[in-house]
Amino acid sequence: MNRTTRVKGTARAKRTASVKGTAGGRRARRLDPLSLTGLGCLLLLVLVALGSLVHAGGDPDAIVGPRLQPPGPGWWLGTDNLGRSMLPRVMEGVGTTLLLSSAAVLVTAALSAGFGILAGYRGGYLNELVMRVVELLYSFPAIVLAILVAAVAGPGQLAAVASIVLVTIPLMIRLVRAAAVAVAERDYVTAAAISGAGLPRILGRHILPNVAGTIAVQGTYALSVGISVEGGLSFLGFGVQPPQASLGVLIRQGGTYMMAAPWLIIGPGVVLVLAILSINVLGDGLRDRFEPRETRALI
Amino acid sequence: MRLLLWWAGRALSSAVTLLGISVLIFAALRLMPGGFAETILGPFATPEQKAELAVRYGLDQSVFAQYGHWMAAVGTGDFGTSMISGQPVAAELWARLPVTAQLTLLAVAAAVLAGVPLGVLTALRARPGGGGVAGRLLSGLGVSVPEFALGSLVVFVVSRYGLQTSGYLLPAAVLSIFAISATARTTRDAVLNVLVEPHVTAAVARGETPWFIVRHHILRNAAGPVLTLTATITAYLLGGALIVEYLFNLPGIGSYVVQAVGRRDYAVVQAGVLLAATVFIVMNVLIDLLVGLVDPRLGRRA
Amino acid sequence: MSALLEVDGLEVDYGTARALDGADLRVAAGEAVGVVGESGSGKSTLGAAIGRLLPRQAVVTAGTVRVAGEPVLDLPPAALRRLRGQRLGFVFQDPIASLDPTMRVGNQLKLVLRAQGREGREGRDGHDSGGGRGGRGGGINADVAFHLGRVKLDDPRVATAYPHQLSGGMAQRVAIALAMAASPELLVADEPTASLDSQVREEVLNVVFSLAREEGTSIVWLSHDLPAVARRCDRVAVMYAGRVVESGPATEVLGNPVHPYTAALARSAPAAATPGVRLEPVPGRPPVLTGPSAGCAFAPRCPFAEDRCTTERPEPVRVGTQDVLCHRAAELEVIA
Repeated sequence: MNRTTRVKGTARAKRTASVKGTAGGRRARRLDPLSLTGLGCLLLLVLVALGSLVHAGGDPDAIVGPRLQPPGPGWWLGTDNLGRSMLPRVMEGVGTTLLLSSAAVLVTAALSAGFGILAGYRGGYLNELVMRVVELLYSFPAIVLAILVAAVAGPGQLAAVASIVLVTIPLMIRLVRAAAVAVAERDYVTAAAISGAGLPRILGRHILPNVAGTIAVQGTYALSVGISVEGGLSFLGFGVQPPQASLGVLIRQGGTYMMAAPWLIIGPGVVLVLAILSINVLGDGLRDRFEPRETRALI
Repeated sequence: MRLLLWWAGRALSSAVTLLGISVLIFAALRLMPGGFAETILGPFATPEQKAELAVRYGLDQSVFAQYGHWMAAVGTGDFGTSMISGQPVAAELWARLPVTAQLTLLAVAAAVLAGVPLGVLTALRARPGGGGVAGRLLSGLGVSVPEFALGSLVVFVVSRYGLQTSGYLLPAAVLSIFAISATARTTRDAVLNVLVEPHVTAAVARGETPWFIVRHHILRNAAGPVLTLTATITAYLLGGALIVEYLFNLPGIGSYVVQAVGRRDYAVVQAGVLLAATVFIVMNVLIDLLVGLVDPRLGRRA
Repeated sequence: MSALLEVDGLEVDYGTARALDGADLRVAAGEAVGVVGESGSGKSTLGAAIGRLLPRQAVVTAGTVRVAGEPVLDLPPAALRRLRGQRLGFVFQDPIASLDPTMRVGNQLKLVLRAQGREGREGRDGHDSGGGRGGRGGGINADVAFHLGRVKLDDPRVATAYPHQLSGGMAQRVAIALAMAASPELLVADEPTASLDSQVREEVLNVVFSLAREEGTSIVWLSHDLPAVARRCDRVAVMYAGRVVESGPATEVLGNPVHPYTAALARSAPAAATPGVRLEPVPGRPPVLTGPSAGCAFAPRCPFAEDRCTTERPEPVRVGTQDVLCHRAAELEVIA
């Protein structure tokens, strides 16, 4: 008994040692400090967004002071061209941006999981069709595709969400499909199929858990792409429409008064970059965690 | 022979994708709320105007015939006329092409010339357990600052301190930050993947110097993913150019399309989108050819 | 006279796992030594340590490795490269992956020959860089053909092929040609035939051993196959849990094993089986060390173990022709 547990433990230790280097078993299974910091930043932003719902930073539409005031007591991020405090407006912007992006990423993840797994496991015509559509979407530069969507659907939140979905879905479907193909070839899946397990059971119980890591990693990256796309689209005026605030809208508006009041653009700009950066860093950490790389290099 | 067949197949499949894209763009325009005529002419158009438009665009014919006419026109380089200026879209695109091409090419050049060495160096310096915090933050930052945020900052600094901007260097710099970072990250990953291959160990065991090994055994092996990324980056840059041109007020194709979307000038949007997608697909085929030449395994595998 | 290769008390850790726990090995010039052990016994680590080819996370905590008197683990980079390039040759398990997939075989060989030519002009002690191709004209292409011919690859198409177009056996011969191109003094082969089928295996081994004999190259052959090693090598070293537990003349180690582990290994080999007698697998599993073993690492599986075996590290003792790490070696020799 004792021996078997020891052997198991050591086998695992050896595998992680060969894959993760000196990191050892425990660190390989946990996120590193930088990624955790990224996660912390993201959670903080979510908290900020939730706070904006209860006007924690103040009423975003209330006029609190003179126009275009630099940061100071009463308006910690300055005031805009109407004399509104920027703090609650940035908080609302974070909320809008995060909500739209994460809604879009959820749609992307659900569609990718469904079509990617099915295409990867079933192959055949379905696979052909899915991959064709994916390649089609993949052929558009992100912001160009977003603009096409905005042109068709009309500027607004729906255009922003639809754009993010269409921009992020090709890569995720591809990778989920590839992961599903790799799993589908394994013996235990074949064994499950032979023993009469139904399709939903095979897909849900055997394949989905194995591609979940890919979905998590890609979903994280997709969220950062989503924030960037929403920002760009709203910045061009085709996404979220004022008076609703989003980070892109705020940066667009701040640009107009950039000379007189640079804080209008610096506040939302810093928050936007911080959001994307922390998500990307988190994504890198998740990738190292779920898809560890061999690090036995000699030079 | 087999390679030739593969290339032929690749070209054919690209042609099919291109066809699909044209259908998508065509359908997108016909699907617009309010109908095509109203979209083009606005809600206050007279029935006579609508009838004239219907004849001009063949709206009385079947959808397939309409698509055929449009494709035939596009095939001869006729992208229709701009609703706002009344000028042929093709001529306007052609006049604006040099700006966008210069911007994009400068950024691609920067991506390759700076990103590849950066990626190789960081890969060689990489230690197990990941790079330093500073390095990871910097590499993350490079792909985390959207053009419109960085561009706004640059425009602000330039106008605040009255700096002279010469030509396209500054906009291209803004555009290339992401491209350089993305190329460096991909190169680093690709090189790290090659470094652990047994043939590199074998080269080390033969007493070859690190620089010799990089030059002869690593660069070529790592080229595949980096080249493939270059195609993607180029497409991405076409999108980024759109934002940078808008920001810096440059007379390129991007700013033309942004204006057109704002004014609902659909012939221009249609042409711009089709152009961007075509460039991407053509780039992809060219890059695939190149990859096949550099890495003999790839042509076979596909 | 000192040996060509001297490994003394080598200890190597990977993080918390210990791969080598005080390994000793000696190889004389021109000698072929087989290093035998189960996977995880540390033989690959030992092989890599000879050329300081250990992965970065490996930490050498004690011991020395000397090749022709040079302290391999303490050499500055340039001297280390010179040692690897001139005195050492390596052949690895996966033949096709050991070749650069983007380069034709002939070009890889040319690259090695040119690099070696440069070094040769800088001067080498003892060895002639021409390594058996002196006096022949015909330039680099002829050299390529010559080196491929030495490993019995006479088909001219081989030189223009990419590695993925070769069979495993052919690829391994190319790898051998690359490793032997510089006429090294010591060739370290880490299970070079593990992925080949038995017929090809014999051919590749013939090529390695005859070429090494021609060149006067010593061989360290790492393998898990005791009888196969004993057939080809002059001496055999048996590894268990990061130590060489028994070493001596090949026929003696196989025929009259002293260490209980060697004896068990010899009994478990199908080739050594007497028809009608059951093969005896070695009971239990090899341990994975997380630090120095307190006593003899084989004690938990050893039928002859006594108290001190689990508490006291055995020191090498000479029993007949063999060096053995066993407290009870002398008694067991009598029993045998």
